[in-house]
Amino acid sequence: MANHFRFSTLLVHGGLEPGPAGATTVPIVQSSSFAYDTAEGLEDVFRGRQMGQVYTRIGNPTTESLERRLALLDGGVAALATSSGMAAITTAVMTIVRAGDEILSSSSLFGGTFSLFRDTLGNFGITTRFVDPLDLEGVRNAINERTRLLFVESIGNPKLDVPDLPALAKIAHDAGLPFLVDATVTTPYLATGGELGADIIIHSTSKYLNGTGNSIGGVIIDRGVFDWNSPLFPHFQPFYKKYRSFAFSARARKLIHKDVGGCPAPLNSFLMTEGIQTLALRMERHCSNALALARFLKSHPKVSWVKYPGLEDSPDHEVAKRLYGGRYGGLITFGTGDKPSAFRIINSLKLARNLANIGDAKTLVIHPASTICCDYSTEEKALMGVTEDLIRISVGIEDPQDIIDDFKQALE
Amino acid sequence: MTITVNGKKTDLPENSGRTIDSLLAELDVSQPLYVTVELNGEILERNAFDATLVATGDTIEFLYFMGGGC
Repeated sequence: MANHFRFSTLLVHGGLEPGPAGATTVPIVQSSSFAYDTAEGLEDVFRGRQMGQVYTRIGNPTTESLERRLALLDGGVAALATSSGMAAITTAVMTIVRAGDEILSSSSLFGGTFSLFRDTLGNFGITTRFVDPLDLEGVRNAINERTRLLFVESIGNPKLDVPDLPALAKIAHDAGLPFLVDATVTTPYLATGGELGADIIIHSTSKYLNGTGNSIGGVIIDRGVFDWNSPLFPHFQPFYKKYRSFAFSARARKLIHKDVGGCPAPLNSFLMTEGIQTLALRMERHCSNALALARFLKSHPKVSWVKYPGLEDSPDHEVAKRLYGGRYGGLITFGTGDKPSAFRIINSLKLARNLANIGDAKTLVIHPASTICCDYSTEEKALMGVTEDLIRISVGIEDPQDIIDDFKQALE
Repeated sequence: MTITVNGKKTDLPENSGRTIDSLLAELDVSQPLYVTVELNGEILERNAFDATLVATGDTIEFLYFMGGGC
């Protein structure tokens, strides 16, 4: 598949090769392993002399089709699909850091990522320093001789702050560090990894890329531009010497992914590939519906506050406008003063579903303080922007008036 | 012209303008976007594929980081 097509064409055709019997969808190759006629043939594939699959934990034709499409969409040289977004973050970070190293991370994070960095990786001797991603000087000053990467969410979930990613990329690169961006909330439709200055892009494909909430997945996209031939990363030398611009992808796939085993099921790779085709259309609708709902909530007398980068008085509006071309994503947070009123509103909604996900075609809500962030202290919740009255909305692609009407009746 | 590709002697029609890029196409190498090429023991940068000529006696290895098992 030629890679010169424009974004919306790549969404439909990118990475897709002619299927058997003229099939127009990627075949679901539901096989755990792959047979070879000769011992020499299998040896060549194991040694990497021939392209081929051995075992679905490491590679699978359906998953590789998805990976080719996702790499093209974000301007990457390669992609590695995983069983979940958390598997993608874990694999990407473990590819880079070793015991004794430090991660420098935005404090405005999805709760699962915060827990991975603070607790799980902390238990293996990897320390994470959490910094406000809007405080560029603070980020620069937090880098030390042990720092090995800078990690940021493109739009923080659920804080909905919008870091200046190209400026953060420069800070990372000036220190010789790779810049990792979790762009789940913005998707490559709002901005590609290349436009944001990221070296490694991560998506939970379960969200907008899939679009219908039917499967869990993640992806790591390698832009192939970071110089891994650096004294900070001696463990990359075998991979750099053999694979050059693919050094990160090779170490991620042939070591960490192979050993950890966070591979997607072929059926899920198929569902992701199908869902991605409509990303551009859906994201336009998510963004326009979210802006309409945010404006309604802003005008409602019972709403104490609304956070949405598309609102012109939002402190994040100008950066978001510059980075994302006048589109601001599908997430809104708002509050009505306290937890009981938040619960009353959620319990009164008839269209919006109360569940722990984002990026579905359906409008979703959750009360993060009592659910996805319930294990964190008040101080940690504050770092993530989570207050007791906060309701997060993932605005769907339904008729915007029906969404507004639902919140109107729930508020009143 | 005879070269060695992945350890096997390979005869090719004479062509003084054969580059690594054209060799990948001529041999129908799978997924050329993802292949690393080693020429006479040295890894080539990808941006050199279209300017590096193939000469008789060259030893070329194709390496994939995708698929495989180790």
